[in-house]
Amino acid sequence: MPTPLLSSRSTASFFKRPLLTAAMTALLATVVAGCSSPESNDSEPADAKTENPTADESQNVASNDAVSAEKIMVNTVKGDVELAMNPSPLVVYDMTLMQDLAALDVAVDGMPGGLLLKNLHSETQPDPKSVGTVFEPDLEALNAMQPQAILVGSRMAEKYDELSSIAPTLDMSIDTANIYESSKQRLHDLGALFGKSDQAAKLQQNIDGLITEAKSLTKENKGTGLVVMVNGNKMSAYGDKSRYGFIHTVLGVPMADDKIADAPHGQPISFEYIQKANPDWLFVIDRSAAIGEDGIGAKAVLDNPLVAQSNAWSKQQVVYLSPDSYLAFGGYYQWMQDLTTIKDAFTNAK
Amino acid sequence: MSLFSPRTHARLKSSTAPSVSSWQSGTGNVLHRRTVIPPWFINTASLILMGLLVLLSLSIGVADFSWSGILQSLLTQSANSDSSLLLVSRIPRTIAIILTGIAMAVAGMIIQVVLKNRFVEPSMVGATQSAALGLLVVSLLFPASALIVKMGVATIAAVFGMMLFMLLIHRIPPTDFLMIPLIGIVFGGIIEAVTTFIAYQTESLQMLSVWQFGDFSGVLAGRYELLWLTGGLCVLAYIIADKLTIVGLGDNIALNLGISKRQVTWIGVGMVAMMSAVVVVTVGMIPFIGLVVPNIVSRLMGDKLRRSLPAVALLGASAVLLCDIIGRSIRYPFEVPVATIFGVVGTVLFLWLLLRAPAEQ
Repeated sequence: MPTPLLSSRSTASFFKRPLLTAAMTALLATVVAGCSSPESNDSEPADAKTENPTADESQNVASNDAVSAEKIMVNTVKGDVELAMNPSPLVVYDMTLMQDLAALDVAVDGMPGGLLLKNLHSETQPDPKSVGTVFEPDLEALNAMQPQAILVGSRMAEKYDELSSIAPTLDMSIDTANIYESSKQRLHDLGALFGKSDQAAKLQQNIDGLITEAKSLTKENKGTGLVVMVNGNKMSAYGDKSRYGFIHTVLGVPMADDKIADAPHGQPISFEYIQKANPDWLFVIDRSAAIGEDGIGAKAVLDNPLVAQSNAWSKQQVVYLSPDSYLAFGGYYQWMQDLTTIKDAFTNAK
Repeated sequence: MSLFSPRTHARLKSSTAPSVSSWQSGTGNVLHRRTVIPPWFINTASLILMGLLVLLSLSIGVADFSWSGILQSLLTQSANSDSSLLLVSRIPRTIAIILTGIAMAVAGMIIQVVLKNRFVEPSMVGATQSAALGLLVVSLLFPASALIVKMGVATIAAVFGMMLFMLLIHRIPPTDFLMIPLIGIVFGGIIEAVTTFIAYQTESLQMLSVWQFGDFSGVLAGRYELLWLTGGLCVLAYIIADKLTIVGLGDNIALNLGISKRQVTWIGVGMVAMMSAVVVVTVGMIPFIGLVVPNIVSRLMGDKLRRSLPAVALLGASAVLLCDIIGRSIRYPFEVPVATIFGVVGTVLFLWLLLRAPAEQ
């Protein structure tokens, strides 16, 4: 039985409630009516505005012709897609891909606004326009922008068809069960697409270097590991096919319990479970970090007599992972940040 | 002892909804049944059932635990791993479950009597949703505030939510009693939508889900004690049970018997708000208990609160205990939130309650 856990319910089950949907529709209708009325009052400026996008478009087409007519094959979840190099304007809806593009110093013209992580956009490039959220595209903004390519990942993958009708859309989701190979492919493809293959290869080298270092440490310091997400006063455990599976599959930390099935929000567990599984290493993701209680919340929740009985707690081998690992799994900065955190923890353990 | 005025009764008889009219005619059976099953029997039976479930709840868990270890610890007068596990994890969890079950069931009974409507419970009058909204807002604005502050804000929000709901239904004729739960569901849905929107905008949907899905996996000694407050409120409910019953009989009867309907109603509303807020803050929302349990008890024992409240409390505790035991066992060593289990079990129970009535006619 699938457990309708945590935010997996957010949109899907939301609309299964007819009354709620009706209320929301009514609300939406009033909002739309409220918005449309002032615009209809001054129709002339609106008409004048519509000329601008066409002008932009012709410019873009011209610039694209100048830069490259070269086409390139990109590996996506939906098969290989042929695309002209350096697509611009470019819209990105996935934090993993944003991290890679930021590391490659590629300009992104549109991305969701108000995102939590700071490393999603290259500092040297102009700020992107807001085009909705990671779950919901702002179709008006997209239409006005007329992007040449839209890159989506796991969170936006179900809107693929909707977005495809606007511009060539590439589903470049990371396969969490094979996170290393998958993210390597994405970084390589993004490098090729924007003519920065050398830089992409260099970034990949950085990641590989850290993995080798971390691996040598985890090999020496044998001991089982358990990945736990703390959310409020509740916890869930993640297995080797989850977005944190790289700890087990890539770094080779043995699982404290190898029967954890894959679920987008983990398997809910009790504190007794941690005592029983008795991991030597506890990898913690703190969800309350989103409201600015970095790490403190999770630490306070885990600090209890049952967790204290585990090897991980008594040996002070509790590793707090960054929110990147949750939001931008497989992205360049996530790899660098979490590998460094884990490497440091294992170094200090000796 | 019907909660509805004779006028409602007549109107319902002629209405086209068969389940509703049979529901009403069920009151006749209630009188009849009450003579068959005496209250002391029901209470003793539920007490024994609860005792068995408590033993089961104490025995089930992920960590290694044995009763012989407890016996040993008792005999030698010294603590061992079994006794500490019992004290730290098992007993707190079981007590939290019992208190939650009692609180939600009693709150459901109070709100049903006060609104003179069988189809409402705290989550259908906007109480739990408002509590969650208040909790979210205070957590976002003052993340470091103490639990008692958060709970206070949640309670105030719940009272406000229920006041708004009372104002809404004030304009509906009392005969139109199916409208009250309908409006309640819409009202609760709107508050939930506002809450979800705020959570969505502030990236705290995950935090919100902690309160929206009741589950006891986080309960340990020192992390549930606020729930004892609901125990106190239940005692208060028992003390004023007769006044609540009289208010439930109708405005004129209350007036004739010298009860301030307004005052008693607000005390009832305040108690329901507090119970909902405490449960939402400590374990999260659990749907249906407040609806199903009072209805079952009311069919067996009628609506005289002083008589039926103990049964409501016992049955509520047993129901949540059972659902939590199921949730802990079916995916062992992982858990299924009790709210999910009760959603399923509660729906089946409620449909059974609705559908079995015609057969008795």
